[in-house]
Amino acid sequence: MRRNLVTLMALLGAFLLFAILVHSETGDFGFVSGPNLELILRQTAIVGTAALGMTLIIAAGGIDLSAGAVIALSTVVLAAALSAGLSPLAAAILGVLAGAAAGALNGILVTVLGVVPFIVTLGTMLALRGVAKGLAHEQKIDAPMTWVNSALAALKPEDRWMLFPPGVWLTVVLAVLVGVTLNYTRFGRHLLAVGSNEAAARLAGVQVGRVKRRVYLLGGALVGVAGVFQFARLSVGDPTVATGLELDIIAAVVIGGASLAGGEGWVLGSLLGALIMTVIRAGGSQLGWSNWVQEIVTGAIIVTAVAIDRIRHRRHG
Amino acid sequence: MRGIGKRFGATEALAAVDLSVASGEIHALLGQNGAGKSTLMKILSGALVPDAGSIELDGQPYRPRNPLEGRRAGVAMIYQELSLVPHLSVAENVFLGVEPTRRGLLDRVLMRQRTREVLAELGSPDVDPDARVDALPIAGRQIVEIARALAAGCRVLVLDEPTSSLPRPDADRLFATMRRLAGQGQAIVYITHFLEEALAAGDRYSVLRDGRLVESGATAGVPPERIVTAMVGRAGSEAYPRSPRQAGEALLAIDNLAGLTRPNDASLTVHRGEVVGIFGLVGSGRTELIRAIFGLDPVLRGDVRVMGLGEAAPTARWRSGAGMVSEDRKGEGLAVGLSVADNLMLTAFGPWVTAAGQRAASGPVIGELGIRLADPLQPVGQLSGGNQQKVAFGRLLHHDVDLLLLDEPTRGIDVASKAAIYRTIDRLVTRADRPCGVLIVGSYLPELLGICDRIAVMRRGTLAPPVGAAETSEHALLLAASGGGN
Amino acid sequence: MPKPLSILSLALAAALAACGGGARKDAGKLRIAVIPKGTTHEFWRAVHAGAIKAGEELGVTIEWKGPLQENDREEQIKVIENFVTRGVSGIALAPLDHAALVQPVANATRANIPVVIFDSDLKSDDYVSFVATDNFKGGALAGEALAQALGGKGNLILLRYAVGSASTTNREEGFLAAVAKYPGLKVVSSNQYAGVTTETGFQASENLLAAHKTATGLSVDGIFCANESSTFGMLRALVDGGYAGKVHFIGFDASPKFVAAIKAGQMDGMVLQNPVNMGYLAVKTLVQHLRGQPVDKRIDTGATLVTKANLGDPAVAGLVSPALAP
Repeated sequence: MRRNLVTLMALLGAFLLFAILVHSETGDFGFVSGPNLELILRQTAIVGTAALGMTLIIAAGGIDLSAGAVIALSTVVLAAALSAGLSPLAAAILGVLAGAAAGALNGILVTVLGVVPFIVTLGTMLALRGVAKGLAHEQKIDAPMTWVNSALAALKPEDRWMLFPPGVWLTVVLAVLVGVTLNYTRFGRHLLAVGSNEAAARLAGVQVGRVKRRVYLLGGALVGVAGVFQFARLSVGDPTVATGLELDIIAAVVIGGASLAGGEGWVLGSLLGALIMTVIRAGGSQLGWSNWVQEIVTGAIIVTAVAIDRIRHRRHG
Repeated sequence: MRGIGKRFGATEALAAVDLSVASGEIHALLGQNGAGKSTLMKILSGALVPDAGSIELDGQPYRPRNPLEGRRAGVAMIYQELSLVPHLSVAENVFLGVEPTRRGLLDRVLMRQRTREVLAELGSPDVDPDARVDALPIAGRQIVEIARALAAGCRVLVLDEPTSSLPRPDADRLFATMRRLAGQGQAIVYITHFLEEALAAGDRYSVLRDGRLVESGATAGVPPERIVTAMVGRAGSEAYPRSPRQAGEALLAIDNLAGLTRPNDASLTVHRGEVVGIFGLVGSGRTELIRAIFGLDPVLRGDVRVMGLGEAAPTARWRSGAGMVSEDRKGEGLAVGLSVADNLMLTAFGPWVTAAGQRAASGPVIGELGIRLADPLQPVGQLSGGNQQKVAFGRLLHHDVDLLLLDEPTRGIDVASKAAIYRTIDRLVTRADRPCGVLIVGSYLPELLGICDRIAVMRRGTLAPPVGAAETSEHALLLAASGGGN
Repeated sequence: MPKPLSILSLALAAALAACGGGARKDAGKLRIAVIPKGTTHEFWRAVHAGAIKAGEELGVTIEWKGPLQENDREEQIKVIENFVTRGVSGIALAPLDHAALVQPVANATRANIPVVIFDSDLKSDDYVSFVATDNFKGGALAGEALAQALGGKGNLILLRYAVGSASTTNREEGFLAAVAKYPGLKVVSSNQYAGVTTETGFQASENLLAAHKTATGLSVDGIFCANESSTFGMLRALVDGGYAGKVHFIGFDASPKFVAAIKAGQMDGMVLQNPVNMGYLAVKTLVQHLRGQPVDKRIDTGATLVTKANLGDPAVAGLVSPALAP
C-alpha cells in the first residue's frame, strides 16, 4: 500500500506542477478542469488496461513484449468482424478473444518449450504483428461507426451524468477485478509464488505451468480489451498501431512499483504509472513542448521512479 | 577487540565484548543464531562500524570503515554464501580486483603461477587454476576463497560456518588446511554450530549469548555439554526428545527405485509412527532420492507408493497428505519475497485469501514452532535463518500432512530452532490420532541417532537396508557412508 | 517518505528550461492550431512556412504540432484532443487517415472549435472547408506526361504510397485514369505499397524492380510514385540498380535531390503541389470563417509538373525550393 502512496504522490506532484505551469502560460486553470481530467483518463485507458494484464505477467516473473502487436491484432480482428456484418458486441468480444488467444499462445510457448518469456514474446511480437498485417492485407480496415467507438470518445453533453466515458469505467472495474484476483485469491498467491521463487512454488505443489498459462491468457485478454479501446479511438483496424506501446505498458507497471524480477506487482500502482505518463504527455503537449522534450522527461521519470523505489527498499531493508 | 558494542535501533546486538586471537591460533566462535557472532565478525572485517570499543591489529589501532579497508589491513572474512564469480576461472577469481597487468594486458602467466603457489601452500595443489569456479564442488570453492584472501596477504581469516555445506571428508580436509595456515602464523576465527567440530579443530573458543561474551577458554578437555549450557543458558539434556513410538501401517514404500543418475535401485519403507533417517555424504544421491519420491525428479524405473499413490507430481503428493522440506531453503524452500503466512499456506490456500484469514490460519503453526516475527504478513526474508527454516517446516504442519519428507531440515540453524523442530517431529509421530511418518535426510550423525528409529546409509547412489538407531553408532554409520568396511 | 515530488519538479523544471518555455498567450489574439500529418518531411515545413506567413499577415498566433511519423493515427488524435481541451480558436488539420480522425474532428466542432481540413480529405462534413491540391488532377498530370514521353506505348509501374491516405490514393487514381486513355500503355504493377518511410519505400522499390528485371535491363518503360518518400525510395533503387535514366520516371512532391535527379536526367519530372500556398490558404480560410466571412467548402491550391525544361522559370523555382519554416 505504501508503494502505491509513493506513486500517488508522484502523480499528484506531476499533475500539480503542470497545473501551475499551464496556469502561468494561459492564465487559467484549464489543466484541472473537468474536460482535461476526462481527457487524461481517456488517453490512459489503453495503456492502463494493458498494464493490468502486464502487472499479472510481470508479478508472475514473466514479461510480454508482444502487447503492442496484440493490440494491433485486436483492432484488425474487430474491424474485420464489424465490416463483415457482425454485431458490435460480437465483434468486440472477438477482439478480446484475439488477445486471449495470443496470450494463450505465449503461455503455451513459455511453458512447453521452456524458452524464457523475453525471447518467446520477442518472437510473437514480430509474428503477431505479421498476422495482423496479413489479416488486414497490409492495409488498415475501415469499419462502420458503432457504439463501440463511443467507449473512449469525449462525452456528449447529454451523457454528462456518466462523468467519464464508459471505457474509463470499464478500466476501473477491470482494475478492481484484477486487484482482487492478485491479492485475495488462491490463484493470485500462486502467481506471486511462481514469480517470487518458481522452484519453491513447484515444491509446494503449485502447478507452475498451469499458473503461467493462465496468467498469460488473462494478460492477453486484458491486452485484447486495450485493443478494443484502441479500435474505439481509431475507428479503423490498424495493423501498424501501437508499435512500441509494449514499452509504455511495461514502464507504467515499473513506475507503479513492480519488480521485473517478479513476485511483486501493484494494480493501483500500474494504473497510476500509466496516468503519470499521460499527465506528462498531455501537460507537455498543452504547454507546447516539443515531442523530444516530452520524451526526455518521460524517460527521466521512469528512471527516477524506480530509483526512488530502490532507495526506499535499501532504507527499509 | 575490547569492549565492542553495537546497537541496531532498539536492540543491543553486542555489549562490551572482548576477544583476542593470537597469531597461529584457531579460535572457535560459538553461539546460537542471533547471539551476535556475525555482527562481531562483520565489525572485525569492516562491514560494520562499532558504536563502542576498540580493535588492535598487531598492536596498532585498527578502525576499518569498510571490508576493503579491512582486507587491506589484512583481515579477510569468508562468508557462508561464497562471493566468487562462477563464470571466471580459479586464477581470475583469486586476483579479482587486483589483477596484475603487463603493458596494459592481463598477465595470465603470473596469475596462474601465483595461484598455483597459494594453492600449494593451502595443501590443495590438485585444484586447476584454469578451471571455471562453477565447475568446482563447494569445498573447492572454499579453498579458492581462502586462496584469494592469502594472495591478498591477509593474516587474519574469519570463516563463517565453513563446514555446514561440506561432507565429512571435505570438512576434515578443511580443518587440516586451517591447521596448516595456523602453523604458518595466520590467526583464524571460525564460526560454527557443530560443537564437536569446534572442540576438535579449535585451540581456544568463545561463546556469545545475547550479545555478551559468556565463556572463553582453551578447548582441551572441555565437555560439549558445558558449551551447550553456555549457549542456551541452561543444561542441554533434552536435546533430542523421544517419546515411546509405535510403528503402524506403511505410508511410503519404494522398491528398486532408480533415478536418471541417482539413486540406483533403492528400496525403503516408512510407517506411521516412526522416523527413518538416511545418512550419506553430499553427492551420495540422498537428495535425489527424496526428490524422486516427491515427484520433483524423474523416476527411471522401480516402484514408488506414497500414501497409496504411485508416481505423481508434487501437487498430487500434497493432496494425498505428503509434504517435503527442501535442503535448499532460499533456492527451493521459500519464496523469500512473500510473507510468512503466504509461505506457510502456499500448499493449501482456500479460493479466497484475506489478511485476517491468513493471520488466523498461520497463528497455531507460528505458536507451536515459536517463530519469532513482528507480523505473519511480513516478508519471510526479514526473519533470521532459523526462523525461516521453521516457516519452511511449518508449511507441513499447516497442511497437516501424514508423511514428512525432510531434507536436512536443521542445516545451518541455531540450537533453539533445531530443538523446536525436533520437538514437533516427536509430537507428530507419537500423537494418538493419525501418527505421522517421517523420512529425514541428514549429515549430522548425533542428530540422526537422536531422533530416528531406523537409519539407512546411502553411498554412491546405493541405499543400504536400514538398521535400528539403537543398534548402531556414529562410528559404524560413518564407516559405512565413507566407504570403509562392508 | 522520500521526496518524489521535489525530484520530479526538478526534472520537469530542467526540461522546461531546456525548451525555453512556450509562446506566451497574447490576450485577444486568435490562436490557430495547425496539425500536419508528420513533422519530418520537408513538405510540411513548407506548409508551416505558409501558415506562419498567413499568421503574420492576419495577426493570429500559429501553434504547430503533429505526430513524428505519418502513420501514427493515435498520436494525431491525441494532439487534436489536447488542443481542444486547452481551447484554441480554430484547428487546421491534415488528417493522416480519412476515417480515424472523424470522431476527434466532430468533438472539436462540438466544442465550438471550427476545423479546416487541408492536404487530405476526411470522410465527414463536420469541417468548415477542405483546402488541398486537386490530387486527382495532379496524378493525371503525371500520367499525361509519361504517356507523351513514351509516345503512348509501353509498360508502366505505379508504386503506391500507403493505405488510407486519401491524397495519394487520389493521385494514383488520377494517374491510372489518365494512362487508361492510351490503349498502348499497360500498367504491369499497381498493387505494391511503398509504406510510410523512405526505408520501406526503398525496399519496396528494389523488390518491384527485381520482379521486372530482364537480361538486358527492365521490362518496364515508365514509373510513377505519388509522394516524396516513395519517390525518393524509387529513385535510390533506380540509381543503385543502374536503371536511372533508362526508364521514364515521374515523382510527386519536391526535394533538392529530385531537382538534381531531373537535371541529371534520372527523372523526367515531378509533380509539385504548392505547400506554402496550402498552409497559407488553410489558415486564411479558417480566420475568415472565425471572423464571420463566408468561405468555399473546397479550395484548390494547384499542382504543377516540373521538368528539365521549366526548371528555370521563377514561378517554378519558388515551388521547387519554397521558404521552409525553421
